[in-house]
Amino acid sequence: MAEAILTIRNPSGLHARPAATFVRAATGYAAEVRVTNLSSDPDRSASGKSLLAVLGLGCGRGSRVRLEATGEDAEAAVRALADLIEAGLGEASGSVETE
Amino acid sequence: MRRLQGIAAAPGLAAAPPAVLAPSVGPAGGPQRSLGEAVAEAQRQLDALAERLRRAGRTDEAGILEAQSMLAADPELLDGVRRRVASGVAVDEAVRLAGDEAAEVLERLPDPLLAARGADLRDVAARLMRALHNVEPPRLERRCVVVAADLAPSITAELEPSLLAGIVLEGGSPTAHAAILARALGVPAAVGVLGAVAAARGANEVGVDGGTGEVAFNPDSAFLRRVVAWADARHERQADDDRLRDEPLVTADGHRVTLGANIGRVEEAAPARAAGAEAVGLLRTEFLFTGQASPPDERTQAAAYEAVLRAFEGDPVVIRLLDVGGDKPLPYLDLAPEANPFLGVRAIRVAERRPELLAGQLRAILAAAAAAGVSDPRIMAPMVADLGDVRMVHRALAEAAAAIGLKLGRSLEPHLGVMVEIPSAVLVADQLAQEVAFFSIGTNDLTQYLLAADRANPALASRQDPMHPAVLRAIASVIRAGAARSVPVAVCGEMAADPVGAVVLVGLGISELSMSPASFTAVKRALRSISLAEAGDLARECLDAPDASTGRRRVAERLGLASG
Repeated sequence: MAEAILTIRNPSGLHARPAATFVRAATGYAAEVRVTNLSSDPDRSASGKSLLAVLGLGCGRGSRVRLEATGEDAEAAVRALADLIEAGLGEASGSVETE
Repeated sequence: MRRLQGIAAAPGLAAAPPAVLAPSVGPAGGPQRSLGEAVAEAQRQLDALAERLRRAGRTDEAGILEAQSMLAADPELLDGVRRRVASGVAVDEAVRLAGDEAAEVLERLPDPLLAARGADLRDVAARLMRALHNVEPPRLERRCVVVAADLAPSITAELEPSLLAGIVLEGGSPTAHAAILARALGVPAAVGVLGAVAAARGANEVGVDGGTGEVAFNPDSAFLRRVVAWADARHERQADDDRLRDEPLVTADGHRVTLGANIGRVEEAAPARAAGAEAVGLLRTEFLFTGQASPPDERTQAAAYEAVLRAFEGDPVVIRLLDVGGDKPLPYLDLAPEANPFLGVRAIRVAERRPELLAGQLRAILAAAAAAGVSDPRIMAPMVADLGDVRMVHRALAEAAAAIGLKLGRSLEPHLGVMVEIPSAVLVADQLAQEVAFFSIGTNDLTQYLLAADRANPALASRQDPMHPAVLRAIASVIRAGAARSVPVAVCGEMAADPVGAVVLVGLGISELSMSPASFTAVKRALRSISLAEAGDLARECLDAPDASTGRRRVAERLGLASG
C-alpha cells in the first residue's frame, strides 16, 4: 500500500475538468485508488477511478487530500497521481497566462 | 403582451415562436438496448459533440462534454444502476433513480461550482435513458426561442444553431453551462425567468432581451422594433466581419502589417489559419509540459510542432521555448517555491539548471522543421536578460543539431529570436540585435516589470496599462535598435489585440502584431480607419503624454471608441 497527502491548488478546486484529468490517470493503474478529503470528511474515502465519487468529495482550493493505493503498481500510481495534483491537473495553477 | 423579468445570461435580442422543451419523458414500451449498449451509444454521442466543439475552437465547452462522457460510464453510477436492477427495478427506471441520487449528492455540496455539476449528471442520466429507448435527442423543427425549466448543456450543444433564436430558462444561473454555451453560440439568453414555461404555452411568439434579462410573451411592436434594430446592426457587423476576414491587416493608406496568431495548442492552428493568420507570432509550448508527471518525449513534442508548421504551409511559426517557473510548478522540475516567481527561476533560467529540457525541446523543433520541410524554423527564447542568455541558447541549438545529425546551413537555418520582456533586454537591445533574427515584445510582462506593478494583483490593474509613456518609449527604443540591424520587431502581448494599442504600435513602427484570432477583426477595423502618418502622430502624442490614461483616451476618441 502507498499513500500521500497533498493540497489542491487549482483555483476552483477539483471541478469537472481537473477531476476528469485525475480520474483518467487513475484508471490507467491496476491498483485500487482511494481519495479522502481530509479537510471536510476524513472518515470517508472515495474511489479515485470514479469521476462522480471524486466530484462528490467536494474538494475546493486548499483542501487537503489523502491518496491511498493498494495493488501491484500502488507505489507508481500514488507517485504519478501526486505529481499530477502538484502540477495542477492540466490547469495552470497561477491565474496569469504569460503573453 | 406579458413581461417577465429574468437574469441576463447572453446578450442579444430575438423574437420567435416558442419551443417548450419538457423534461424528457420516457416513451411507452420497454428499453430497446442493454445498459452496456446504451452507455456506449451515449459516450459515442457525447464524444462526437465534444469533438465538434473542439474543432470549432470551443475547448472549454468541449471539456464539459468530455467530462459528461466519463460520467456516462462512471463505475459508481453504473453500480447504482445494477444494484437496482438486481433488486427488480426496470433498467430505465434504475438509471433515472441512480442518476437522481448521485445528482442530489453533488447538489448538496457547499461549493456552487461543484453543486452545479448535479445538472450535468441529470443530463447524462437523461441521455442514457434516451439511448436505452433508442430515442433521438430533441430537435428543433423551425427557428424558435427555446423555453424550458432548465436546459442541459449537452442538449444546448445539440440544438441546430441556425434554428436557435434564443433561450429562456426558469432555472439556471449566468454561470450555468447552458448560459456559457449560449454566449459561445451568440444566442440571446435569459435565465431565472420564473413562470416562463406556463406563459410560453399560451404565447404565439416569445421575445428575449439577453442583455437585460427581459422576456416578452406576444411582444408588442416596440419590442419587435428593438429586435429588428439589433438584428440589423448584428447583420451589418457580421457582413463587415466576413468581409474583413479575407482582408489583410493594413492602414487606410495601404501600409501592411503582418497578422500573427497567438496559439497554445495544436488544435488552435487550423482555426487560426482559417481566420486569416499570416503567421504564428507566438506558439506557447507549455501545453506539452504541464499536467503530467514527466517531461514529454521528443517524438511527442516534434509531432506537435510539425502539425503546427504544416498547418501554416511554410509561413513563419514562432515557437517559444518553455516558459514556466514557480507560478506554474512542474513536478519533474523540482523548483523550490519562490516568494516572487515572476522575478525567479523561470523560462530560460530553468535551462541553466535543467539543460536536458532545453536540449530536448530544441532537438524536437529541429526534427519537426526537417520533417515539415521548413528550412528556417523560428525559435524564441523567453526571459532573455542579456547577450549571455542569447549565446547560451545559440550553443544549445548547435549542440542539438549535431546530436540528431543535422547540419546547420542553408538547408536548415534556424532563426533564433528573443522575447523582449525584461527591462534589461530593452536597454541592451542594440547588443542583442547583433546576434538575433527577430524581436517579439511581450507587453504584458514588460509593463509589469517596468512599472513594478504585479499583473496578478487586481488592485494595481489601472497601473498595468501598456499605453504608459515609459512602456511606449521602451518599445520605440527596441524598434530603433532592431531597425539599425534590420531585425524585425513584433508584439505578441495583449496590447496588440487592443485596437487602441495596435494603432499606437503600428504608429511606432511595429511590423507584426500577434494576438488571439478572436481579436483579428477589431484590430483590422481600427487600423483601416487611420493612415500610417496619423498613427505616427498619435503615437508621438502618447509618448509625451503624462500618463497611460491620457494617451489611451486620445486614441480612443480618434478611433470613435467609447473610452474606458
